[in-house]
Amino acid sequence: MAFKQHSVLPGFNLALGYTLLYLSIIVLLPLSALVFKSSHLDLAGFWHAVAEPRVVASYKLTFVASALAASINLVAGLLIAWVLVRYPFPGKRFIDALVDLPFALPTAVAGIALATIYAPNGWIGQYFEPFGIKIAFTPIGVVIALTFITLPFVVRTVQPVLQELEKELEEAAASLGATRLQVFQRVILPTLLPALLTGFALAFARAIGEYGSVIFIAGNMPYVSEITPLMIISKLEQYDYLGATAIAVVMLGVSFLLLFVINGLQWWSAKRLGRRR
Amino acid sequence: MAGASNNVHRSIVTTESRSVRWLLTGLALLFIALFLVVPLASVFYEALRKGFGLYFQALVEPDALSAVKLTLIAALISVPLNLVFGVAAAWAIAKFEFRGKSVLITLIDLPFSVSPVVAGLIYVLMVGAQGWWGPWLIEHDIKIIFAIPGIVLATVFVTFPFVARELIPLMEAQGSEEEQAAMTLGASGWQTFWRVTLPNIKWGLLYGVILANARAMGEFGAVSVVSGHIRGETNTIPLHVEILYNEYNFVGAFACASLLALLALVTLALKSFVEWRAEKQAEAARRDATE
Amino acid sequence: MRRGFNPSLLPPHPSQGNPMSIEIKNINKRFGDFTALDNLNLDIASGELLALLGPSGCGKTTLLRIIAGLETPDQGQILFHGEDATDTHVRERQVGFVFQHYALFRHMTVFENVAFGLRVRPKKTRPTEAVIKKKVHDLLGLVQLDWLADRYPAQLSGGQRQRIALARALAVEPRVLLLDEPFGALDTKVRKELRRWLRRLHDEMHITSVFVTHDQEEALEVADRVVVMNKGKIEQIGTPEQVYDTPETPFVYQFLGDVNLFHSRVHEGWAEIGGARIEAPNSPNETTATVYVRPHEIDLSRDASDSAIAGVITHIRLLGATVRLEVEVAGHEAVEVELTRERYQDGAWRVGDPVWLNPREARVYTAG
Repeated sequence: MAFKQHSVLPGFNLALGYTLLYLSIIVLLPLSALVFKSSHLDLAGFWHAVAEPRVVASYKLTFVASALAASINLVAGLLIAWVLVRYPFPGKRFIDALVDLPFALPTAVAGIALATIYAPNGWIGQYFEPFGIKIAFTPIGVVIALTFITLPFVVRTVQPVLQELEKELEEAAASLGATRLQVFQRVILPTLLPALLTGFALAFARAIGEYGSVIFIAGNMPYVSEITPLMIISKLEQYDYLGATAIAVVMLGVSFLLLFVINGLQWWSAKRLGRRR
Repeated sequence: MAGASNNVHRSIVTTESRSVRWLLTGLALLFIALFLVVPLASVFYEALRKGFGLYFQALVEPDALSAVKLTLIAALISVPLNLVFGVAAAWAIAKFEFRGKSVLITLIDLPFSVSPVVAGLIYVLMVGAQGWWGPWLIEHDIKIIFAIPGIVLATVFVTFPFVARELIPLMEAQGSEEEQAAMTLGASGWQTFWRVTLPNIKWGLLYGVILANARAMGEFGAVSVVSGHIRGETNTIPLHVEILYNEYNFVGAFACASLLALLALVTLALKSFVEWRAEKQAEAARRDATE
Repeated sequence: MRRGFNPSLLPPHPSQGNPMSIEIKNINKRFGDFTALDNLNLDIASGELLALLGPSGCGKTTLLRIIAGLETPDQGQILFHGEDATDTHVRERQVGFVFQHYALFRHMTVFENVAFGLRVRPKKTRPTEAVIKKKVHDLLGLVQLDWLADRYPAQLSGGQRQRIALARALAVEPRVLLLDEPFGALDTKVRKELRRWLRRLHDEMHITSVFVTHDQEEALEVADRVVVMNKGKIEQIGTPEQVYDTPETPFVYQFLGDVNLFHSRVHEGWAEIGGARIEAPNSPNETTATVYVRPHEIDLSRDASDSAIAGVITHIRLLGATVRLEVEVAGHEAVEVELTRERYQDGAWRVGDPVWLNPREARVYTAG
């Protein structure tokens, strides 16, 4: 097989050449710098850097908080997508646009706003304070910030699938005797499942790497509310480039793994939805 | 973008009872209010709580102005660079069949799955003082990290995929029949691109540019790593916000943050507008196809 | 290859000997400004196979969906065997509905699709797994697709999906079977096979069935009775022979097959078209009239005649077993004439030949 199939359109060499050059300079070369740097580490040094108790505590927080945030959005995202697609209400277009706010609002802005609202004297924090519940400057705050930042993912993956769902499928199920709840459980939910999981995985992947929105509300207490990206920053601030590199390698590995999972989910999703008609 | 068409006619069979609909709509709106509206409102409330005077004072302060300037510079360089790249990549990928295409698409998406902090770090490791090319750059007195070029590079990295990933599916869906028609009518390659391809993709292109711009102006993590936080020199607005906030200058921090929040609102409005236009264009194309 | 239809594969069906008539009384349905059904009345006899025939937008699918309970009428009543079913939810109505595009559940195998209606029953009435398995396999046997039980809908051909959708609808032992354009999405050859198969299936099961179609050939071939609909109203109800041979309205005449139209006046019981005189005994004197003549009901002659329509052949098209001639008639648009191959060859007709047309059959509709 030839590298490229024949086409009458021009510009392939120029376009592909430029694409590869630019990709190499901006993405591949810097990433290889990480690999280059980590080659300075021996296995023991690498292990020492990535398995240090404070760093391990940060993995736990990052993973658990990310999983919680993605789970909250799995439910809330399905609910929001459902309401946006199916029910009429005034201001729907506006709400639909607003869902993307976490993508458009700079993370630092989200961070200081959330830290202020959930502080013990903040708009929302004050109602929890009397019960002895602290949100800002605790792991709960981390979950809140990650929930904010990953809110659009499930909504935006589920919405188009729900939109395309033929109403005949629901009618068929009803005519066969299924109750509304059975229709939801047995027909709608299984159809949405790949999109839900894809949205969950995207949200989780984003949450793992998130930095700006979290550090203001987290309080950044060692062993308690430090996230992994913060560990890289604090290593850098101590001029521990090798330590920072080692942790970054771990994070990059996790990112690639998630990318792999997400691609798999999307493939499954396409296959499951099958040819239409 | 959502809804209308699917809602045209739903019989009793395919919807829920009125009370369930109200309950679900209420819950969804409550969640959105709590998680989206309240934080957004708080930014403007905190910025203005000490009055307009202090608000404007915080915005015209020299460090704030220089942060605005740097933010604009970073966006003005990174967005056009990624725009050109996005169009070139989409042209190669959508209009031609070649081996390794799916690998290339994955690589283009890569910056999205890298943590912003790691994105900053890789540049430090490449061109920082302790980095791969550090000694050579110092020798030639070129400063990238803790200077403006580093900030621009980090911004380019985090906004890298936006335009390309918007255009690739769009151009794939459009196919290349129109371009082939233009070629048979004697148009040159550039003429075909400017007169046929570009008008077809303009809304998708604008959409990608809007998103890339929002991210470029708002990026925090990656820029934070490479900036060095030198006041009045290497601070973008988000970094300036952080410094003010950490100095307990809340009015100043939220005043600058409100600029970014406004930017976010404008972005959302533009985005909705472009989606609406693109939808109309797609509908017209569908109508043409069925007639 | 599909085997022939084998009635012994049929599961015993409760609706056999359990007559189910449907009465539709004064049904109205509007969508916004559009009147889909306009005060419609229809009785469907127990065990018959009825076709709702009409152009798109005539309300036939809406009527079918109202019978199913997928839509609610604005006014009117539906009686199932004398009982008011107007407010009965589709879930409890015990109708089998086959959708135009089948609406098979993509994430379920063929087996699970057919079993769906049994699995969603309340615990008390839900059959055991063994019974479900037996029943589903019996039904798949009935539609001759037992070997596809473990496939997914995406892996089936259009005709196979159609039959699975039918098996799924039959699994709940419906009192009535409703089919929306059951053959619409299939190619011509499969369509013809399937509609004969459906007819045979109905002859065995005698379940009251209604199907919607816009294809007159399909309606005439398959149905016991045909309901011709237009603009939310019923134009005519009758056996295929009745609606084809004695159309009651110009619409029915035009919708069922090709037709030539002549404008004329009725004079003392006769309508004249270019020399030919058509009997119109019941039409009032001196009224404008439209005369309908089907292309295959016209005789051609080379002999000049005062009582025939003079014209010239302008086009000849060979369509397999038949031949179509276009004849130019002065003061009239071109007239189409259809001949069998033999008659065409016997006459040795050529383009440019002068001819005289003699309608064997014609129908006169007077205005108003």
